[in-house]
Amino acid sequence: MTRPAARSTARTGEPWQVAASLVPIGGVLGLMLGGAVLLAVAQSLGFAPWYGINSFPDPSYLAGLWGSKGFWVSVGLTLYYSLAATLLALLLALTTATLLVRSFPGRAVFGALYRLPLVVPYGVGIALAVIMMGNGGLVSRAFAAIGWIDDPSEFPRLLNTHAGWGVIAVYVWKQLPFMVVAIHAVMVGADREQAEAAVVLGASRWDVFRHVTLPQIAPGILSATLICFAFNMGAFEAPFILGGGYPDTLPVLAWRFFNDADYTMQLRGMAVVVSIAALTGALVLAYLAAYRAYERSIGRA
Amino acid sequence: MIRLARALLVSTLLATTALAQPDTEASRFQADFLDGKLAWETVLETARAEGEVHFFYWGGGDNLNIWMDSVVAPALAELGVTLRANRITGTKDAVDLVLAETAAGKGIGEGSVDAIWLNGENFFTLKQQGQLFGSFAQALPNSVHFEWGQADPRSTLNLRDFGTTTEGMEVPWSGEQYVCVANRALMTLDQTPSDLAGLRAYLEANPGKFAYVKPPHYLGNTFVQQVLYAFNPDGTAASPFQASISELGAEELARLIEPGFAYLRELEPLLLGGPQGATRYPEDGAAADGLFRNSEIHLTCGFGLYAVATKRANGSYPDTAEEIIFPAGSMIKNKSYLAIPANAPNPAAALVLANYMSSVDAQVTRLELVGYPAGIDPWRLSPEDAARLEAAAPPHFGVTAAELDANIAPDTNASLVDVVEAVWLEYIERQSDDPFAAVVARAAAPALATQ
Repeated sequence: MTRPAARSTARTGEPWQVAASLVPIGGVLGLMLGGAVLLAVAQSLGFAPWYGINSFPDPSYLAGLWGSKGFWVSVGLTLYYSLAATLLALLLALTTATLLVRSFPGRAVFGALYRLPLVVPYGVGIALAVIMMGNGGLVSRAFAAIGWIDDPSEFPRLLNTHAGWGVIAVYVWKQLPFMVVAIHAVMVGADREQAEAAVVLGASRWDVFRHVTLPQIAPGILSATLICFAFNMGAFEAPFILGGGYPDTLPVLAWRFFNDADYTMQLRGMAVVVSIAALTGALVLAYLAAYRAYERSIGRA
Repeated sequence: MIRLARALLVSTLLATTALAQPDTEASRFQADFLDGKLAWETVLETARAEGEVHFFYWGGGDNLNIWMDSVVAPALAELGVTLRANRITGTKDAVDLVLAETAAGKGIGEGSVDAIWLNGENFFTLKQQGQLFGSFAQALPNSVHFEWGQADPRSTLNLRDFGTTTEGMEVPWSGEQYVCVANRALMTLDQTPSDLAGLRAYLEANPGKFAYVKPPHYLGNTFVQQVLYAFNPDGTAASPFQASISELGAEELARLIEPGFAYLRELEPLLLGGPQGATRYPEDGAAADGLFRNSEIHLTCGFGLYAVATKRANGSYPDTAEEIIFPAGSMIKNKSYLAIPANAPNPAAALVLANYMSSVDAQVTRLELVGYPAGIDPWRLSPEDAARLEAAAPPHFGVTAAELDANIAPDTNASLVDVVEAVWLEYIERQSDDPFAAVVARAAAPALATQ
């Protein structure tokens, strides 16, 4: 399994050219993101003179948050929704992408239809979940209408519970096509001959997937899951509208602090925001490190 | 995440704005007006020169927005002032903006908010932070439409806003009463509760068919306040709740509210979702209305003396919705107000707006088209004007105006509302097992510390 020669010849330029081409993105990231992160960290450490609060550096906001039991339940819920949705979407995306590289009747129509959620906003997806899955929704009403249950409220609760079926459903619905696009693009570009050679040499379908296809599509899986997971960790609307209430996910918790009439609560909100960023950042770095290790293990440095 | 964005805005403003020179012309106008040196004609003239007014108000009501555009904007245009309507989703957004701009060094005459529709905690915040224009209400020509005399008990809502003295820094704009609405297709007259014990009995027979908005949303707070009045162990209903937390003390407050909170805890498994083991509180009035319209709950409560008439007409409520008298004797009535921030860029135009809003014309057309009860006091009007106001009122369904009037209760002191919110979050939402007095003491600690 040798690396294609074309990949190793990266174009190099003069250092000043590299620096100049980094200025636009560097400026955007440095000012917009860097400034925001700095301010968030400063506020979470007690710096908010515009509300008459300045006890910087004051670890009590972060310490108070991390010391409360509810916070860790919130961390658990946030991780659960993010991971469950990402993994479920990945499984479905792998199946769909594998299907799409074959030819079958109606493939063109299917290939266009599955991308539909990409252009539909999250808010619409959430509304669809309420209309379909809610206890005043179409499904529960249909069950009550045909007499399987006496009242729509007796239908098993899918929304507004901590099991989070609604939240996960909306994430998967929206992110599945995105993952399929990312993985399918890599699959199409991958070398089919290796897989065919492996089959000729007697490999089972699982072996082919495990040793040929998976290494080929790993970069697509990495980028798709990374983006979806990081998005889910910070997503607000779906858990706010479809979630189970207290304890809330971290972004909803942050919103509640920001929305409190008591201004000093905003510093606690910032502590939550900083915690989300730190947690997501650490997990993404760990994931990237694991991916590097995997690349090395299969001989791609 | 608007608030996040706002916090970032603060940093940008802080970074980019050097402390600017105060706007001397605006300062002089403010000082002269508050000293009573300016004739109203001069104010009108200054307002014409300013040319526009940035009014920030909750923009979630279609009828209200239409009235603003079709009645208020033309009326102000006649006075040479263009109405710039800033429709916000939460009043706190406007308060945040005022505070953020002040923090960024934008002083008198340099802000971007001219007038805000607010009450309760938001007024309390601006007043506490010294961010209000000053005592202007009694200086408006239309202030004759309000009862200001302390001797008349009917002046309370003009002089006190959730227990905070208004001192003329805001002018009453609208009245409101907290009214519960029953869907008669699901709840018959004889099943209708008139008190909280009756509500529990109804929910035992029909579990899950009621929900109140989740505190700290003010619609939820108000429901909780009514429960606390009804279960006041001294039987003195709302009266002890007019005092501030520092006057009352945490211990006394705990004694007064414990029976009410015990009731709310017992009620929880009977609320929406409770029978399935996951009680669910709607996040705001729109969510509660949606549940009611969808027959998921039989009863909903919110501010809106004429809400049934307007919501039946626009389809937000079914045609079987009717007002009920519940809980008898504890239906909170309050007013909301217009306030002018200290750094308003067009203070004269803001005064003209406030004066127009206090006019009989504005109040009558709003009552008719929007269904918001008058903020002006009918007994201060000429008989013809009072009759116009009465004729403009939308109809009630199932109850009479006299019955609604006979069951009113005042709002809770703003400093207690914060504590009650915090107690609800800990005792009901987080199901704290700590002794009730300890929960209240913890909730009251921040408020007591700042006083």
